[in-house]
Amino acid sequence: MFLINCPYCGERDQSEFSAGGEAHIVRPKQPTELSDDQWAEFLFMRKNIKGVQFERWNHAHGCRKWFNMIRDTSNDKIQAVYKMGEKPPIK
Amino acid sequence: MPDWNSAIKKIDNDAASVNTKHHSELFISEVEPIIKLNLRGKSRDFLSMVGKILNIILPTEANTSTNNEYITALWFSPDEWLIFKNNVTNRDTEEIKIEENLFKNISQKKLGSVTNVSDQFVLINIQGKNVYELLSSGCPFNFNDFKNKKGAVTQTILNHTDVIIYNEEINKINLFVRRSFSEHLWSWINDCASRL
Repeated sequence: MFLINCPYCGERDQSEFSAGGEAHIVRPKQPTELSDDQWAEFLFMRKNIKGVQFERWNHAHGCRKWFNMIRDTSNDKIQAVYKMGEKPPIK
Repeated sequence: MPDWNSAIKKIDNDAASVNTKHHSELFISEVEPIIKLNLRGKSRDFLSMVGKILNIILPTEANTSTNNEYITALWFSPDEWLIFKNNVTNRDTEEIKIEENLFKNISQKKLGSVTNVSDQFVLINIQGKNVYELLSSGCPFNFNDFKNKKGAVTQTILNHTDVIIYNEEINKINLFVRRSFSEHLWSWINDCASRL
């Protein structure tokens, strides 16, 4: 259990949120020109690293807004939270 | 003709007459019929049109509300609000009038959307000095600041159920819950209240 600082509502319990997977995956501009392998790479393959990861989260039981989070998956330490469309505050 | 019947009456015979329950330090009641409308929009024109029609400024600060003599507006998210009448009213006539006016000036002009959620949400009023002991026993939200801030609003989980909690007055809250979960939550609240 940990607390997440929703960029819209403020600090809330993790149980109010849903994880939405890795963030900043760019959709290919011409999907029809991709091979099956390239399309599968875009759709399914994720880094799933142990360490600092850029993720999408949804405040499902609150404001229902999506946002981005930089989280260390090894200890759940949240390094930054920022709105959709904003650039990550750290690289 | 829609059925405005209580969500609680049919499951709680003790509460059948007035939809209320008394516990030692708590008074719990279903408030109905109440007009409830969900408003969504982003533009400045949307906000000013709502203000013009309802004579109320929609709250833009997170977790807050605004009200006038007749209506209260709750902040849900940066582009979503719930408005409801402060008092039990005749839904047949008043609801249609307010909804039509908003629909004509907001939805049809593509400024935003207006959804009638009067039957979607059940409004349960809980008052008494143990209100926050009751809520804290099934909710992960920190009520320390909330309970002293009149007009505060939060959307959270109570006993695994999505709820909207509005701090109407000190030790008096309005709790909105989806109708299909209301029987379960009503039973849980009364069970919990009887153990406080």
